[in-house]
Amino acid sequence: MVAASLRPLGDVSFVEAATGLEAVEHLAMAETAMMVLDLNMPDMHGLDVLRFVRRHPLYRTLPVIVLTTRDDPGSERASIEAGATMYLTKPFAPDALAAHARSVLAVATR
Amino acid sequence: VTTPDFGAEFIDEYFAECDEHLVAVRHALLTVESTLASGRVDPAAIEQLFRSMHSIKGLSGMVELRDAELLAHELESRLRDLRDGNARWSPAALDALALAMRTLEAVIGARREQRLGPDITPAVSRLRTPDASSAAHDDAGGPRAAASSHARPAPHRRRWRFTYAPTADTAGRHVNVNVIRERLLGIGEIEQATPHVPPGGGIVFEFVVATDADTSVFAPWVDDGVTWDTVDDAPAQPSVEVAAHAAASAVAPSHLVRVDLARLDDLMRIVGGLVITRARLSDHLGRLEPRLAASEWRGVQESVGALERQLRDLREAVMRVRMVPVGEVFHRMRFVVRDLAREAGRHVHMEMQGEGTHIDKFVIERMLDPLLHLVRNAVSHGLEPAAERRAKGKPEEGRLALRASTAGDVVVIVVEDDGRGVNRAAVVESARAGGLAVPEGPIDDAQLLELICSPGFSTRKEADLASGRGVGMAVVRRTVLEMGGSLMLETEPDRGTRFTIQLPLTLAITDALITTVGDRTFAVPQAAVREVMEVEAASVRQLENNEVITYRDGVLPVLRLARAFGLPETARATFHAFVIGQGASRVAVLVDRIVGQREIVVRTFSEALIKVPGVGGATELGDGRVVLILDAGTLVRRGRERSIA
Repeated sequence: MVAASLRPLGDVSFVEAATGLEAVEHLAMAETAMMVLDLNMPDMHGLDVLRFVRRHPLYRTLPVIVLTTRDDPGSERASIEAGATMYLTKPFAPDALAAHARSVLAVATR
Repeated sequence: VTTPDFGAEFIDEYFAECDEHLVAVRHALLTVESTLASGRVDPAAIEQLFRSMHSIKGLSGMVELRDAELLAHELESRLRDLRDGNARWSPAALDALALAMRTLEAVIGARREQRLGPDITPAVSRLRTPDASSAAHDDAGGPRAAASSHARPAPHRRRWRFTYAPTADTAGRHVNVNVIRERLLGIGEIEQATPHVPPGGGIVFEFVVATDADTSVFAPWVDDGVTWDTVDDAPAQPSVEVAAHAAASAVAPSHLVRVDLARLDDLMRIVGGLVITRARLSDHLGRLEPRLAASEWRGVQESVGALERQLRDLREAVMRVRMVPVGEVFHRMRFVVRDLAREAGRHVHMEMQGEGTHIDKFVIERMLDPLLHLVRNAVSHGLEPAAERRAKGKPEEGRLALRASTAGDVVVIVVEDDGRGVNRAAVVESARAGGLAVPEGPIDDAQLLELICSPGFSTRKEADLASGRGVGMAVVRRTVLEMGGSLMLETEPDRGTRFTIQLPLTLAITDALITTVGDRTFAVPQAAVREVMEVEAASVRQLENNEVITYRDGVLPVLRLARAFGLPETARATFHAFVIGQGASRVAVLVDRIVGQREIVVRTFSEALIKVPGVGGATELGDGRVVLILDAGTLVRRGRERSIA
């Protein structure tokens, strides 16, 4: 669903991870331009993934869009504090996500 | 009726209490595990786990943390089955408990950090079918060792640090971190999983795993980029270690500091010392006044006045630190009621008012059991079964109200039900059967209370309850009186029962009236005094063998303090009197003079030898004199006894 809505971005490849640890693994295994992160994941919480990413020089500037079901101010604040580039909640409009992703990437590559 | 944001208001308190329970849980789990290894089950530890889960369930319900409530509930049921022999203890059962408790900690920790908690379904399903779940691991293709590790009675668990470094090669063979994680789960418990970025980039994952599998099981994983070393050589207590780790990570910044009550007592004692010193200073200064010039005196007076105000502020600040909302205790009652109502097959609607009323922590802690007793009594014996209520034309749902309010220096707590009321005839009958002195004729509510609170009193019902809690009405009253409070009963057949408890806001320092009898001085805590008046000696009338005075529209029994303490009585035309007690149990205590009002520091007598009925403690006045503090509760009773006898 997320991958599908990002397809308009053009010539990019997507790697999906089922767990937080897997997300981190993918991050290290292939060059990654952007991460769309769910908070509620088994074995490593999205926020922990985000904090891990921000702690490491290699990924410090990686754009991370937090996309989660929970629309509570607590997780938004926590995400932003942990270094999320953008915080979006599900359900989302697919073209909106693509647009956000485009703008985030544009800022990142400038 | 509770406000919806009640949970938010007490959330820090919730975390603090959960922490305490979780500490107890970790201890108990450790005990259970170590005794289980030697083939025994420690009933005390099981009971502790059971109680803690019950409390966490209740607390979590209060703050509407449903996952924690549900998990604690499942744990409680499971523990009950294990305790009652409806389920068998096995390493798998223990693992399931440990997993669930770890998850519970994580759920609570997540809430504290305001993030989403872990999924509790695996923990719950494992709790429900611990053996099936470990079998499922095997079916999923886990190493054979997993099955035998769960079945072995005494685990020789060790902790290993596994390191997995993914490579293009492993990725090509579809080995990734999830696969490795599944393998590790198959051989034991993962306590920790952390990614690291090694100095040259890339990624490694570190897993700390408690397992009783040996290296032959995981040796083949070298090909998949897995290496290992032992964390320590000591046999690990896996679940406890895990729990400890989880707790460490659950420690989040909080605006609350937990302080041992004993330290606050120290602080209060120091403030008490200051109060006395200030009183002494005032006395000394009083003697100096004639020798000082007016202008100098004014300066001194101002400083002393400021000192006095600041000291009062300090005292109040310290007192406030000791204050907790009554709501904490009320909400515990809610869960007691829920369970009791279920057991007794009653429908109970619970009302609460004034949960925000603050009271000294020490006072309310001491009141917990007495309140529990009153609430239990109300649900089990006061409220009728639905059918009986319907027959009486009452709503089927029984009503139980808990109310708290502040009135001056006292906190009033009311426990009220709309049940069948206290059965006077039955009380009188069993009191007589028990050899208690019972007045002839109809007895009023105060006398009724007197009977049911007598140490010798028991009905069969009362005995049932006492065996359940170890607290009877006698203890309820004794505790209230020890706290310097009072207890009142109002009851009406088929209309209900109301217990009213008055408690001082705090114990250590209080305002008191200073009274004299002959050459003796006594202090009376002001919280207990309802009214002060002047009484003409001639207006004290003899009624049968009691003395009474006219008071408003009725009469009031009189207790001459001199007579009560066997002191020489002085003939006077007028006396001062203070009225203590409430409702039907009011008494006017006659003294020579009420000479003033003072802040006093209460020192209780710890030695039984110097415990005198009617005296609650002692205090030091500014001039260094030690005076006795009257215990209003006992005086009320003595006044009533005299009027009854």
